[in-house]
Amino acid sequence: MKLFAKYNRINIIATIATFIAGSVAFYFVLYYILIRQLDGTLKSEEQEIVEYVQSHNQLPDFENTRQQWITASEVQTPVKRSRHAHSITVFNKRENENEQVRQITFSIQVQDKLYNVTVNRSQAETEDLLQLIILVTLGVIGMILLVNYFINRKVISRLWQPFYNTIGRIKGYTIAVEKPLQLPNVPVDEIALLNDSLNQMTLHIYRDYHALKAFTENASHEMQTPLAVIRSKVELLLQDDTLTQENIGQLLAIENAASKLSRLHQSLLLLTKLENRQFIADEPVNLRHVILARTSEWQDLISSRNIKLAIECGDISKSFHQHLAEILVNNLLSNALRYTPGGGKIDIVLNGRYMQVANTAPGGALDEGKVFTRFYKAQNESEGTGLGLAIIKEICNLAGFSAMYTFENDMHIFTIYFGQ
Amino acid sequence: MKLLIIEDERPLNQSMVEYLTAANYICEAVYTYKEALEKIEGYDYDCVILDIMLPGGSGMQLLQYLKKNRKSEAVIIISAKGALEDKIEGLQTGADDYLVKPFHLSELSVRVAAILRRKNYSGQPVIMAGDIEVDTNGKEVLVNSKPVALTLKEYQLLLFFIVNRNKVLSKNSIVEHLWGDDMDFVANHDFIYTHIKNLRKKIVAAGGNDCIRSVYGVGYKMQV
Repeated sequence: MKLFAKYNRINIIATIATFIAGSVAFYFVLYYILIRQLDGTLKSEEQEIVEYVQSHNQLPDFENTRQQWITASEVQTPVKRSRHAHSITVFNKRENENEQVRQITFSIQVQDKLYNVTVNRSQAETEDLLQLIILVTLGVIGMILLVNYFINRKVISRLWQPFYNTIGRIKGYTIAVEKPLQLPNVPVDEIALLNDSLNQMTLHIYRDYHALKAFTENASHEMQTPLAVIRSKVELLLQDDTLTQENIGQLLAIENAASKLSRLHQSLLLLTKLENRQFIADEPVNLRHVILARTSEWQDLISSRNIKLAIECGDISKSFHQHLAEILVNNLLSNALRYTPGGGKIDIVLNGRYMQVANTAPGGALDEGKVFTRFYKAQNESEGTGLGLAIIKEICNLAGFSAMYTFENDMHIFTIYFGQ
Repeated sequence: MKLLIIEDERPLNQSMVEYLTAANYICEAVYTYKEALEKIEGYDYDCVILDIMLPGGSGMQLLQYLKKNRKSEAVIIISAKGALEDKIEGLQTGADDYLVKPFHLSELSVRVAAILRRKNYSGQPVIMAGDIEVDTNGKEVLVNSKPVALTLKEYQLLLFFIVNRNKVLSKNSIVEHLWGDDMDFVANHDFIYTHIKNLRKKIVAAGGNDCIRSVYGVGYKMQV
């Protein structure tokens, strides 16, 4: 629910409640005043009759109208005097409805007879007035709601426009590609505060992000030089004729560890760059060429291990990044080659919908949920960096592809779907 | 052939000097931007091996200086930065080759030799090692003056051995030279054995000396 709709709902409910409460109070106050006025009239009528009787010593002729009528009847005992008028309901035959009538009754001595005189006055006028007031109140409530509605429709959406502009800018903002946000100054305090805070925030994030990025790259680069020292020293030592077989084994272990560390750094650096979206996948890349280049490069290795390679590639080009395409294919195929036992088989399929690499897997299925996570390694594995598949996943994310792992017929199947 | 080696990491610089001196180059080592600038201002070299991140300045500035003053030195950049755009930037500024750290010394040596062959038009494009003669222009190999037909991989392998003759070459360095470092996922590099066996067979068949021998546990060595 929109903030304004919520506010509006409360506002409307409060308005209606206030009006109803006000109307009710107004009704009672007005009713009280009108009735008092009516009672006043009745009393002055009583006064007139009493004065008439005192001066003429007889009852006056009563002039009855639709609004007011007086009745007198001879009685033995006087009515118990009540100074107050009261309302009764009578049936009006002409209008065929019940009607409220205000009456006052008093006893009066005329010569030697006792009369009870009742002065009646219809309350119809009073009720008409009240009805009118209620109608006017309802009308005012309706008008307020209507005006509110139009204000919301026209004015509110215009008032909130700068807010939606800001939201639009934030949505489209990617820190790896752009400069800090520079939201415009608007003459509305709240929006200006929002824009200002966002500008400040993105500026900080931008600075931190770039400092971190530079640090990651520098750190990774600085580590390559000591590794180069290790590698070169090992290589020089290996030239020594007096080395024992044991020495050589240890030196090669050092060399392998240094190589692995270097690869690990390169992979982490690549992952960081992928996450930072430092590549743009927008050039057409012929994936068939990439696959065939790799497989022919590795033909020696494949045939030396008696691996049966089946390639079924359409001439498919995708909007991609040449270097990333090579890394993707390289990682997929090197993975397959590493884990395929001698005499196994590797199937490569490329069509318009997907690219698939399947290889014989004697060890059983991998954990589908974890294969693409960093440093995931199957139980019997130790050689790889554990980052190859994570890199594949990140490359797919960047290019808008999706990567899937399945296990069928004793084969690991990695499929890259072009399109989500 | 005179080489200038500009690298601030002393042990690495010394390794390069040691390896390349043994390959009959005259090497001078400098460790800072200032020293390097003095050397290239005052002397001429055949090839400069250049690190990018130096104390006191950037290797790229030295490269720009060389190109602006039309110096004839060949330049190989050795850098920790392995990203494609770094390589492109280096090569576009005028470097002849770009080697990413950590590298094998044997690889550096073969790159230096290739560049010097390309640069010295006047010099001999023919390399000799024992009774083997390689014409690098026509990619022709003569053993005992008899032409021998080699596959591309065998030719690259032979050249690698000749440039690094009398050195022990690890299987890793051979694989990386021939197939790039994408092959490093293969724990067992024995598959190169086939190529070396075929190369040796062809040399022996042409009446040449079987000069490539295996060094147990490490790799191979060409002894001439």
